[in-house]
Amino acid sequence: MDTLLQVDNLAVRFGPVQAVKWVSFALGRGETLGIVGESGSGKSTLLWALTRLLPETAAINSGEVWFDSEDLLRLPPDRLRALRGTRISYISQDPMTSLAPGLTIGQQMMDVLHREPWSAREKRARAIDALEWVSLPDPARRMEMYPHELSGGQRQRVSIAMALMLGPDLLLADEPTTALDATLEVEVLDLLKRLQRETGCAVIFVSHHLGTVATLCDRVMVMKDGEIREDGSVAQVFTRPEDDYTARLLRCDPARIIEPTRRLPTMADAPAATAAAVVGPAGRVKGSESPILAVSDLFVTFHRGGFLPAAIGGAVERIHAVRQVSFSISKGETLALIGESGSGKSSVARSILGLVRPDAGTIRLGERELTKADRGGWQAARGEVSMMFQDPAGSLSPRRTLAEQVVEPLIVHGRRAEATRAKAVELLTLAGLDSRFADRYPHELSGGQARRAGIARALAMSPRLIVADEPTAGLDVSVQGEVINLLNDLQERLGLSILLITHNMAIVRHAADRVAVMLKGQIVETGPTARIFAAPEHDYTARLIAAAHHDLPTHESA
Amino acid sequence: MSAVPTEISAVKPAGGFRAFLGDPMGLFGLTIAVLLILSALFAPWIAPYDPAALDVPAKLQGPSAAHWLGTDELGRDVLSRAIWGGRVALTVALVATTLSVMIGGLLGMLAAMGPRWLDYALTLGFDTVRAYPVIILALAIGPIFGGGMGVLLGLLVATSVPYYARVMRSSVIAQSSTEYVEALRAMGMGRARIVLRHILPNVIGPILIIASMDIPAYITAEAGISFLGVGVKAPATSWGLMLDQGFRYVGHTPWLVIAGGLPLILATLGFTFLGEALRDAFDPKLRRRG
Amino acid sequence: MFGYILRRIALGCAVLLLAISTLYVIVQAAPGDPASAMLGPKATPAIKAAFAEKLGLDKPMPVQIVRYVGSVLSGDLGTDLRSRRPVTEVLAAHAPYTVELILASLLIAAGLGIPLGCAAAVRRNSLFDQAIGLLSVSLISVPPVIIAIYGMLLFSAALGWLPAIGAGVGEGLGSRLHHLILPAIAVGIGWVGYIARLVRASMIEVLSANYIRNARAFGLPELRIVYRYALRTAVAPTITVLGVGVGYMLGSAVFAEIVFARPGIGKLMYDAVILRNYPVTLGAVLAATALLVAATTLADILNALIDPRFKESRE
Repeated sequence: MDTLLQVDNLAVRFGPVQAVKWVSFALGRGETLGIVGESGSGKSTLLWALTRLLPETAAINSGEVWFDSEDLLRLPPDRLRALRGTRISYISQDPMTSLAPGLTIGQQMMDVLHREPWSAREKRARAIDALEWVSLPDPARRMEMYPHELSGGQRQRVSIAMALMLGPDLLLADEPTTALDATLEVEVLDLLKRLQRETGCAVIFVSHHLGTVATLCDRVMVMKDGEIREDGSVAQVFTRPEDDYTARLLRCDPARIIEPTRRLPTMADAPAATAAAVVGPAGRVKGSESPILAVSDLFVTFHRGGFLPAAIGGAVERIHAVRQVSFSISKGETLALIGESGSGKSSVARSILGLVRPDAGTIRLGERELTKADRGGWQAARGEVSMMFQDPAGSLSPRRTLAEQVVEPLIVHGRRAEATRAKAVELLTLAGLDSRFADRYPHELSGGQARRAGIARALAMSPRLIVADEPTAGLDVSVQGEVINLLNDLQERLGLSILLITHNMAIVRHAADRVAVMLKGQIVETGPTARIFAAPEHDYTARLIAAAHHDLPTHESA
Repeated sequence: MSAVPTEISAVKPAGGFRAFLGDPMGLFGLTIAVLLILSALFAPWIAPYDPAALDVPAKLQGPSAAHWLGTDELGRDVLSRAIWGGRVALTVALVATTLSVMIGGLLGMLAAMGPRWLDYALTLGFDTVRAYPVIILALAIGPIFGGGMGVLLGLLVATSVPYYARVMRSSVIAQSSTEYVEALRAMGMGRARIVLRHILPNVIGPILIIASMDIPAYITAEAGISFLGVGVKAPATSWGLMLDQGFRYVGHTPWLVIAGGLPLILATLGFTFLGEALRDAFDPKLRRRG
Repeated sequence: MFGYILRRIALGCAVLLLAISTLYVIVQAAPGDPASAMLGPKATPAIKAAFAEKLGLDKPMPVQIVRYVGSVLSGDLGTDLRSRRPVTEVLAAHAPYTVELILASLLIAAGLGIPLGCAAAVRRNSLFDQAIGLLSVSLISVPPVIIAIYGMLLFSAALGWLPAIGAGVGEGLGSRLHHLILPAIAVGIGWVGYIARLVRASMIEVLSANYIRNARAFGLPELRIVYRYALRTAVAPTITVLGVGVGYMLGSAVFAEIVFARPGIGKLMYDAVILRNYPVTLGAVLAATALLVAATTLADILNALIDPRFKESRE
């Protein structure tokens, strides 16, 4: 194949950290290459280093980047700029921050065409064409809008249109779908696949998830600690990985384990070990007793005030976040409440903890009716339910050591005498952290460790129910399994009930006994996990399952 | 423990005390501040003359071996007056800063944690006080209340309380919407405990640094208001009063007003450099405040 | 958007009303009889009696406040004890000199501060940047009264380049501007440093934003990125700061007007204080307060008009 890009011994430092370590690879014309790695692997740094777009704190130590017989690292700035946008384009990760907030979509689209010898009218027409090409509805009107008036998916379409408008030879995409919901991710990946076919441009697609690149790329490189650990065709890497790290990573990706298991493989497990069998719900779930939690006909509405009070004619926007939601959880059971951002699932969780006031409906926790509870009733309820919040480190108090904060629920509930250091160490140990962590602060922890500390705190009051809001959000694939294993294990040992709130279908299969699917504030489908995955009734459920499942490409090179 | 939070992000830790010592402007500021504080503390022993001692025959002299900064219109030693004036300036700055931060911080916390009506009422109150231009208000109110150090302090504190209160209020509110505070609420923790035990440790540092950076502003305000004749009054000495006297003889002996301004310039520059260096060393994020 | 502007103006009016009432309450808290507190020791018994009658000093406080606010709003600020003319008239004669001084200072602050800050941010950590940084800090920290006095000594007394005294009244526009230069520098120069630092800091933040990197990735010329993409966003906070800054500038203007003997509001107040002519000083405070409230309100509205994200709330 005709070589388009040749990278030799590229090395990048961030201060004392060697982020990319003397990496070499080549890319053919029209080839699609995926670079996969976990956070901190240096994959994005490598991508942005190719055309010298790194932040000032980074320095390229050595290397050559040959693009069509020119070394991009040594090209004079104006010649490099002439290539950017025309022959080499970027799509960056976060659609919320990748467009300038103060300029309209049209202004920014037309700025990309600033070098072309066209009239303003023609540039405008080309920009509208490009927006139409990426299937953005009503492109002429979108041209006049500002980025904040578009949804995340629409903005990412605009970014893609901008990147491909001038027919580049090379497209560099830095996690372009990571910030999007699963079903949107599928749409954007399909779009990229179509555009790649139509333009024939070469693509380097950086992602933290092996499955995502498989759908788009021919070839994949696996990065770890700034080095390339594996480089091969998608089919080869996925079926016969040569590197041990790749093999372990593939094995412990919950999305790639189809058979439900209560104990997912982890990075520490030897690749040969077999997954443990399912411990069925039969013994664990006490369905015959009255449910731990029963929510019925719950409504939550948010009011977003206009600038004038309603009394003098100001418009008050009502957002119906939750509409007529009912479900129950038995003792020892895990119910997964799934849905995408804005589906109202977090509002349900927050109403159970009294952080959001429902407009109607009842929430029964054991014998207590929470919507009618007084202060004392709520306080007692909060001793029986614990909540784990999305952001592992961000949900811990930044200026308190772990030992101080994991026992804090006891102090709040008037059991100060029990809030000892020994108790803190006991709780941390229960969550898989040893006593060395007792004196650490949240910013000294990795994502997985912070998540474990959050679980330790959630266990302090020996709750009957844990509400886990996106327990795997922000965690690398290799750590997700560990967290799910821990929750499953604790459930079996302590007889906990768990309300698992997530958009990650891959973990639901291995953790939940039953599933409730939320769409636009309503539950559209409920059922046992196995049945939901095998035969989803609602179209939306089917799409969610499909989105989580990244098929291997069928065009295996013989 | 190899947690790198985001791939492309510069992690620039605050350098703390060591970084502060490596900053030449900061050391310059620290030296001046220490010298000023020492000379204010030991004014009676350091000042070569009694600042109020008249020596009319030796009036309006330029610098000499006997009077390093010359003498004023009544023959008083300018250097001695400058040293005693520093005592007043630093006292005003210190007391005003301390009281303003304490009262402002408290009101700001109340506004952030209290019921909504209290927040509205306090915020409206802060906005009202901020509507007055400080120097002009001092010029009108000072004489009505008879002037003097007490009135001056009251005025400075009253007009800067809303400023700290707003900073405190918005920091507490910003922290309140974080996930860790929501987690604390979810475990049933009361507002007072959340604010005092968890939020306060996160916001108090930046506010103290802002306050330390405002010391030169108080020194400037004291001198300015005293210059206008509605602040510190004779027989007490103030850098502002020295400027005022010097300005009256500006056509006759310009030296007097130049000498009168020197300690003021030295003090404001010194404390400003010190505050800047402290901020850079301990909380670089505050740079945004400009 | 329209709703926001209305609401912001309403808030400004409410704050102004409260400020007027509060001033009255503060002055009434002064020792001595209420009429003397408002009028000063020089007021004749007849004037005091008329004042007591007008405000109803024998009535409860809320009534007095309402009457006081009412008379202020109707333009009645009392009588100048010296010239016997209405205070409103006296203020109107002096206000233009202060307003033109403030406007000139704002012009200097923004006109020098924004380009300097922008240039420093673009050449971050260069020698130029460090020099601007040091200069900014020094300009900010030196008290305006010192800048006014030293400036007069250097540029008027020693070098004779600029006039030392007056506002060039009745000598034509050229002379008037000539007289404005030194006082405006004295009031505005500290703000040059302040604005330069603010713009530098916010430019640096904006320049590290994702969308700036994207603009670079599309090969846009650096100048276009700096002016069209970055500066637009980075300059917004300076508007608010300048609005609040009018309050400090009014204070500095007092010193500049005294040092350069400009017949503005500050000089008027200073002279009135010496004569214990309280109706004039209190009237001047109210006028200056109104000016400051107007400035901060205007700054907030301008900010909202500039930021396209505000339009979202239109629906």
